[in-house]
Amino acid sequence: MSQEKANLKENEMTREGFDPHILGFFCHWCCYAAADSAGVSRYQYPPNVRVIRVMCTGRIDVRFVLEAFRCGADGVFTGG
Amino acid sequence: MVEAGRSPNIEILSNARLEALEGKPGQFVARVHQEPRFIDEDKCTACGMCTMYCPRPVVDTYNERLEVTRAPHIDYAQAIPSSYYIDAKACLRVNYETCNLCAQTCTAKAIDFSQKPKEHALEVGAVVLAPGFGRVDSSVLERFGYGRYPDVVTSYEFERLTCASGPTEGHIVRPSDNKTPRKIAFLQCIGSRDETCGNGYCSTVCCMYAIKEASVAKEHEPDLDISLFFMDVRTQGKGFDEARQRAQEKYGLHVIRARVPRVEQVDGMLALTWTTDDGKSHSDLFDMVVLSVGLDSPEDAQSIAELADIKLNHYDFCKTTAGAPLATTREGIYVAGAFQGPKDIPESVTQASGVAAMASELLAESRNTCTISVTYPEEDKAIEAEEPRIGVFVCHCGVNIAGTVDVKAVRDYAGSLPGVVLYEDTLYSCSQDALKSIAEKIKENRLNRVVIAACSPRTHEPLFQETLRSIGLNPALIEMANIRDQCAWVHSQEPEAATEKSKDLVRMAVAKARLLEPLAQPTVDVTPNALVIGGGAAGMTAAISIADQGYRCVLVEKGRKLGGNLSRLAWTLDGQDASSVLDSLKKKVKDHPNIHVQLESQVESISGYVGNFTTTINSKGKTKVINHGVAVLATGAREYKPSGYLYGENNRVMTQLELEEKLKRGKAFLKNARNVVMIQCVGSRGEDLKHCSRLCCSQAIKNALMIKEHSPDTNIYIFFRDIRTYGFHEDLYREAREKGIVFLRYMPDRRPEVVRRGRGIAVKGFDRLMGEDIEIPASLVVLSTGIAPGDNVELAKVIKAPLTSDGFFLEAHAKLRPVEVAVDGFYLCGLAHGPKSLDESIAQAKAAAAKAVIPLAKGKVAVAPIVSQVDQKTCIGCGICESLCPFNAIRLVKVNKRRKAQTITASCKGCGICASHCPTLAISMGGFTDQEILAQIHAFSGGKCEDEA
Amino acid sequence: MGECHYQSGNYEAMVVAETCRQTLKDIGVEPERLSLDWASAAEAPRFVELITGYVKRIKGMGALGTGEGEEAKPVIDRRLKAAVRAASARKPRTSLGTLSKGLHKGGDYTPEAIEAGVAKKVLPAIRQQRITEEVLILLKEEGAMDEGHLAEATGASGDEIQKILEGLSRRKKISQDEAGWVLMTA
Repeated sequence: MSQEKANLKENEMTREGFDPHILGFFCHWCCYAAADSAGVSRYQYPPNVRVIRVMCTGRIDVRFVLEAFRCGADGVFTGG
Repeated sequence: MVEAGRSPNIEILSNARLEALEGKPGQFVARVHQEPRFIDEDKCTACGMCTMYCPRPVVDTYNERLEVTRAPHIDYAQAIPSSYYIDAKACLRVNYETCNLCAQTCTAKAIDFSQKPKEHALEVGAVVLAPGFGRVDSSVLERFGYGRYPDVVTSYEFERLTCASGPTEGHIVRPSDNKTPRKIAFLQCIGSRDETCGNGYCSTVCCMYAIKEASVAKEHEPDLDISLFFMDVRTQGKGFDEARQRAQEKYGLHVIRARVPRVEQVDGMLALTWTTDDGKSHSDLFDMVVLSVGLDSPEDAQSIAELADIKLNHYDFCKTTAGAPLATTREGIYVAGAFQGPKDIPESVTQASGVAAMASELLAESRNTCTISVTYPEEDKAIEAEEPRIGVFVCHCGVNIAGTVDVKAVRDYAGSLPGVVLYEDTLYSCSQDALKSIAEKIKENRLNRVVIAACSPRTHEPLFQETLRSIGLNPALIEMANIRDQCAWVHSQEPEAATEKSKDLVRMAVAKARLLEPLAQPTVDVTPNALVIGGGAAGMTAAISIADQGYRCVLVEKGRKLGGNLSRLAWTLDGQDASSVLDSLKKKVKDHPNIHVQLESQVESISGYVGNFTTTINSKGKTKVINHGVAVLATGAREYKPSGYLYGENNRVMTQLELEEKLKRGKAFLKNARNVVMIQCVGSRGEDLKHCSRLCCSQAIKNALMIKEHSPDTNIYIFFRDIRTYGFHEDLYREAREKGIVFLRYMPDRRPEVVRRGRGIAVKGFDRLMGEDIEIPASLVVLSTGIAPGDNVELAKVIKAPLTSDGFFLEAHAKLRPVEVAVDGFYLCGLAHGPKSLDESIAQAKAAAAKAVIPLAKGKVAVAPIVSQVDQKTCIGCGICESLCPFNAIRLVKVNKRRKAQTITASCKGCGICASHCPTLAISMGGFTDQEILAQIHAFSGGKCEDEA
Repeated sequence: MGECHYQSGNYEAMVVAETCRQTLKDIGVEPERLSLDWASAAEAPRFVELITGYVKRIKGMGALGTGEGEEAKPVIDRRLKAAVRAASARKPRTSLGTLSKGLHKGGDYTPEAIEAGVAKKVLPAIRQQRITEEVLILLKEEGAMDEGHLAEATGASGDEIQKILEGLSRRKKISQDEAGWVLMTA
């Protein structure tokens, strides 16, 4: 696909106003802390992610991820 | 603040002043006069009825007189004591014995006009002076049109205007017409760096706070056009330069380096005229001018000094020295915060911990003689075992959350969720009165699970857990939904989506809360000694302080002798002989029976947890094992070695420290030095190191003055970007200019160059005033090369401590926990934390020592209850968990001749690798069980999906 | 990397994530819907960049199922259900644990090593279990089905389906009648 076409396709997708349902698994010490600090700095980012805090990304079980998709997640973001 | 209010060992006397201070160290008597509040702190529920009914308006001084309140009021919602008080000057009842309306409306019967002034004679061992800073005199502000033109406001007023809980709820308006301004100018150095008002020093914090206020203003009103007028941009704090740069780019702030002499009004606009350093004159009109007012010494500095019998410096701040920054001139009396010199919050908090160490050293012998300890009621296991009765408290956090999220809608939504029996919203759920009311409601409604939808569990969960404990519930029975840091704050432009997200997060939290189980709270004994890594000024100071506080301490230094960078310094920034500071530290370390020094030693591995660490060091090739309860990181940093500038190629080019070493050995080499050229920010601020190294400006000028003193005819030129002689170091800068040292500003795209000229060298640069290239033949070129982090990477890995992007250790929280590492039991001080001067390193080392002694003095630490637990019935003894555990915290044991896994609770850190890899799902993590996480996932789906796994 | 508070937690997470991705791919879900990224406590700007980019990518993929082709949704739903059961079952979990144990011992956590290890040791176990679970789901929901239809519905090869059906029949979970395979009721 040419770059132009790719852009067009992307625009179509976003124009439809598709609001994805995303589940996040954030490590307490790293990503969760970074997310807090993004808040302190008032950075803005899309409001599509719902976060489950875990103490470590090592806690994440294969079945949690698959279960999230089964339960309708359009994406799963794991952050350490 | 809440912590101070909650501690049983802190008694707060508000509305009080010191009258006399008699006695000696260890045995002072402080006479304190306390005016009545006329409202009983213990009875007041902070409901606000008294303010509502009071007929007497008074100006709201907390809101910079921008608003009106009533005689009975509270300054702000989170104030401690969290009780209202009556302004006696305005009150009709106090002055004319009429009215009494407030007393009649107060349902808590807290208003008490019979209160009389009290005289206290407090027997104390040590005294800390922390009166803060004073206001710059209004006559200084009037020179800039303040008071004459309504749209000239102070930075204090502007701060209140930008504050979402302030008088305009964060709307920026011009006082003259209450309209949103379009163009705003910030004028820096009002009442600072200005000898005409007696304040020759730099107030240190104004550059950064102006950037912050300008950024917040842009957040509220994106169309604002903001210009900031600096003499120099002084953002030398840790990470500040980067933050400033980001703000400038993100918000399009105009940074202009010029001092505006006056403000005039033209056609309802404010006219400014200024001259830039290329000699050009400019002028422009603005809608609003903000005066970035400096920090003055406290108004009552003189009387404090007299009462406490201490000396002040020439600016009426408390007199201290670089070697003893927290000691006043009277033994047993210590100073912290802005009274010691203008400073920001992290520095003030650090100093505050530092003075705690000083007091603890002095009073070590009488430790625990007057301590009150908290006891918790016994856990009500019966209630805990009942069906979940969940209470949800949704916090407004003032307007931090409620400004974006529809809190009431979230609260009502929570009420619809299964298991929820109580759902409420609170203004500030972390305020003391709110915590009290939450506790009462839990009891009244027999709640056994609690959800707080507010800020981050990382910062506030302990507070709410404490509340649960105080009423006999297990602290694990709480779950937080982070609707502030990870919702309201980051989706402020999308209130509806933020509200929906908040509801989802609450639903997920409630789903988890329904399954929460009480967790055991084991404690372990603490090995009562400390390890200090690094034997420079910071490490030695920390070791001495810990030792003086009564605990044994091993000081590990990788070099052959103690001293670190201090041993290369000739003079401190306040002109003391650096070697006298060094010698005195070394002697104290050597003579102290509690300190054991290990030279030529390096840490190889550290295992264990707070209270019980086992560290292996390599000492001169031999392996030694040290058991300790806490550790202080004081590993220092190194002078940056530049490339280019002919450094290393020509012996006339050297660094500032190399110059100091040379000067220390003798001044003869200056005899033929006609021109000395110094170049600032070599390597720093973006050339190679991203950060500003904070002290090179002061150090360069100190050395320049030293050269001038010994060789007055030597011409000295200093190429700089911004001169950052913050605080009292500004005196050095003024002196340097008076003595004819030439300062030449350069821009990062036009750095000066060092070139060979025949047998000599010269510096090529650009003179901005003349607008032409210049070349200065140089006898010596001195490079201010800044401070590069030490070899922290390996140690950071061993400890699992995070580093900043600049390679320094990252503190747990910049303001609240500035000397603690995110890993429990590790503390941080000196250059390992970031560039800083000797006095700052010493204050920070004292602070780290104070924090490190806390677990040692308590003797026991609580083990985090988030640990794994093996269901041995399901376990098949495969050993996968044992081999994957990073902490050797799970092992196989024989149970009835079968191999079964078992957790070593004290070593377990709760990562959960074992649980996510167990073939038979036999391992569960406290607070993060499979069932709890799956319940969150199902709640995420909004009930579309039931348990399948 | 390697800065994990728990020393090796993030390495184990890489193996888990790779397992998930290969499983997703196997059942027809775009594996890039799962992202594993790192942002340390000090890296708020990086976090924001990551999350913003990720949301954009997901938007580009469209809703789960639609991005994979409109008709795929019911199939994906069924396969996910089977996959979750597979991920909870002992055999596939043992294979993941054993692989992690091996990688941990060898210290080689390069993406290539992880990818190859998962493909060789973990995915086959998960796939077999997933197909097994899917057969049970199909027979329960659709009634009797013959071997060919089962193979087509689960995406299994002829050999695979034959082995799985034999296994289930041996364990008395299913039996054959004239309409094809049916569930045995207990």
